[in-house]
Amino acid sequence: MGNKQTIFTAQQLDAYQDCTYFTRKEILRLFYRYRDLAPQLVPLDYTNQPDVKLPYELIGSMPELKDNPFRQRIAEVFSEDGEGNMTLDDFLDMFSVLSEMAPRDLKAYYAFKIYDFNNDDFICKSDLEKTLNKLTRNELTEDEVRMVCEKVIDEADLDNDGRLSLEDFQHMIVRAPDFLSTFHIRI
Amino acid sequence: MVFVTCKDTVTGRACCVVLCTTEEQNLVKELVGLSTRDRIRAIRGLSMSFKEKKHIRLQSHAFRCFADCSENVSLVSVSLIIKQYNTNNQVLIQWSCFKLFSQSFRRCGYSIKSARQTLKLWQSIMKEIGGRFGTSVLSYFVFLKWLLMFNIFSFLVNFGFITIPLLVYDPSPNIPPNVSFTGLEMLTGAGYFTYTIMYYGGYSNETLVGLVKYDMKLAYFFTIAYEFKCCLSCFPCLCLSLYSMASSFKKNYVLADPTSNSAWQLLSSWDFSITNERAVRQRKNNLRVQIQESLSDKAQRQLLTLSEKLKHLGVYLGFWLLSTSLVVGCGVSIYYLCQYEQPAETLLVPFVVSLMNLVVPLLYSLFNKFEHYSSHRRQIYALVVRNILLKMSILAVLCYYWMNVVAKKFSCWESVVGQALYRLVIVDFLFLMLGSFFGEFLSNVIGTRLIPRLGVPEFDVARNVLELIYAQSLAWIGIYFSPLLPAIQILKLFILFYLKKVSLTQNCQPPRRTARAAQMQTIFIALLFFPFFVGSLSIVAYTAWRLTPSEQCGPFRGLNSTFSVVGVWMDDLHEIPGSQWVIWIYENIIKSEIFYFLMTLIIMAIIYIFWQVTQGRKELIGLLRQQIVNVSVLYMCL
Repeated sequence: MGNKQTIFTAQQLDAYQDCTYFTRKEILRLFYRYRDLAPQLVPLDYTNQPDVKLPYELIGSMPELKDNPFRQRIAEVFSEDGEGNMTLDDFLDMFSVLSEMAPRDLKAYYAFKIYDFNNDDFICKSDLEKTLNKLTRNELTEDEVRMVCEKVIDEADLDNDGRLSLEDFQHMIVRAPDFLSTFHIRI
Repeated sequence: MVFVTCKDTVTGRACCVVLCTTEEQNLVKELVGLSTRDRIRAIRGLSMSFKEKKHIRLQSHAFRCFADCSENVSLVSVSLIIKQYNTNNQVLIQWSCFKLFSQSFRRCGYSIKSARQTLKLWQSIMKEIGGRFGTSVLSYFVFLKWLLMFNIFSFLVNFGFITIPLLVYDPSPNIPPNVSFTGLEMLTGAGYFTYTIMYYGGYSNETLVGLVKYDMKLAYFFTIAYEFKCCLSCFPCLCLSLYSMASSFKKNYVLADPTSNSAWQLLSSWDFSITNERAVRQRKNNLRVQIQESLSDKAQRQLLTLSEKLKHLGVYLGFWLLSTSLVVGCGVSIYYLCQYEQPAETLLVPFVVSLMNLVVPLLYSLFNKFEHYSSHRRQIYALVVRNILLKMSILAVLCYYWMNVVAKKFSCWESVVGQALYRLVIVDFLFLMLGSFFGEFLSNVIGTRLIPRLGVPEFDVARNVLELIYAQSLAWIGIYFSPLLPAIQILKLFILFYLKKVSLTQNCQPPRRTARAAQMQTIFIALLFFPFFVGSLSIVAYTAWRLTPSEQCGPFRGLNSTFSVVGVWMDDLHEIPGSQWVIWIYENIIKSEIFYFLMTLIIMAIIYIFWQVTQGRKELIGLLRQQIVNVSVLYMCL
């Protein structure tokens, strides 16, 4: 214990602890996980805030993410540049929101952004179709996909504009009680 | 843009704050008004990028400390000042006006939190299981871990308060000369063990005089009572650890609509924590099958005719009658077997009990296949209720036999009951191991080689949780009669964890239905925990209240009932001057019936109020939903 680490300054660690749901130990452990992805790119000394971004290919190859059908969208949502290339801050933020301590509203906000493939702040029919195809390995027929998407929009769309806004989505999440335990990645 | 520079007169360093937009200003203003803990919680919950969160945090902290230590900070200027940039074009913000006390206090809190994490047992194994099999299977292992923790606590309390004083006072047990230790005692619990501290009979009823006067009777009584009370109050912790967030459970359980089974629930129930490629593929397949099923259900749903309904009803009634008669049969046969078994040191009764607990649930699963239930959930509930009935009636018959027959027949009857429980626990453990072998390994072999149609078996969470609860209720009943029984239970649970983990990973596949895990688990665990716990508690309470302790052995010898030890203590307290308040509490609160009556009334009134509030809120939610639709329709028309 104690301040033996030299990777971060005390202020940086405080900032990380205040802005994420992780403890000091978890933050250091996550830093080492981040570094293990590309040891030659990530320095061991973050005290002067180096500008290091790991490309999406490395992030997507992590064991926690590599089999997740939404890994690309997750990386895009949490990365600063929107392309999936993540800095350490983005990395910590991502796992903090996906940890078990994040509240439902925060998770719902990010889940909405993940399912919104075209980034227009609405989940429209094409977004739903893409989601469904990712979840079922493209093995449903066109008709079935169409029917399911229509049914979902029917049930969830409260303001009747043919697409789901953030409020509709959050309202839906309330009716799915296992959302909090399923929208969760353990690291 | 607004810049504020202030100079800390104590250290002489400059403090510069940059505010960029009005929204940020409003947000920071809001945050500054909160307490530190609330502010941190609010910052963590902000849905913005990490960089922005850090920015907001710095500003709100700076403003807060500016407000707090304004007596030694002088405002130098509020005007346009050239920002200082560092080499990366980031604004250099320094602040020294640091509320050192709160910062170090928070750091201390964080370090305590991370220290607690290192003590978590089996963290990596649980993570692996959760990743491969999902949260519903993980809940079994979380429950097992909780039971293990409780048993460790229970053993330490018993050992510390009851056994150690006795060992310190009188280290050698008084064993009659012709009894020696043979290895068989480990299995039967009789023989050499009968006279040791393993059982009730080995404890004395004296007041040990050493450094302090230690009354063994009171110690025994209050230790047992304390353990039961702790178990009851620790149950909410179990719920918390199973769901990880009590607040979400509260919100979701009240508002969830149990009848809708829509496609949306299927979509939003994708388990992000699954990390195994095979598991992911299987989940995708299952989801596809479920979606196809629900679509075809919708197309073909038709009302059943009256004759079909009657037929189904007849089948249900028939099978329920059959299950109940099985249960009655088991109970009666165990009772007669107990009576027949002479001398009472054989393993016949535990063997038969465990065999019934193994075979009859399999029969119930078989019945389940012939009955048609309208929903999967009802099917599971029916199965669970039948199993509970079976296990509770077996325990009831055994307890009846012990309370009514054994208590009158033997001279040191508590030790006899303790031994019977010990044997039950050991044989139950052996059968659990066998059950794992047959239940999972053989099913796997049959499902993959012999009858491929069946496929790889799933881990039956319901059956396993029930077995665990049954094993634990044996331990709960046994705490009174055999204080060191939790030690056996600890060993059993520890080995069981690894056994189940290996069996799970080698033989089972992830569950096919992406069930509404959280909701089912609540009802499940509550359903299972309370009957058994309350039953065990009432058995022990009945023993303490009504039955006469044996004359020759144990801490309560010579008294009319165990509970009268409190009465004797109260009489003794009359002589000690400063303890009038204890006597007053005992006479007027614990002994008077009016107190309990009032408490019951108050609790019922509170429950009724909460229930009405919940109902009212549900109605309000329905009305508000309707209003949203109305307003949006109106908006579309305009």
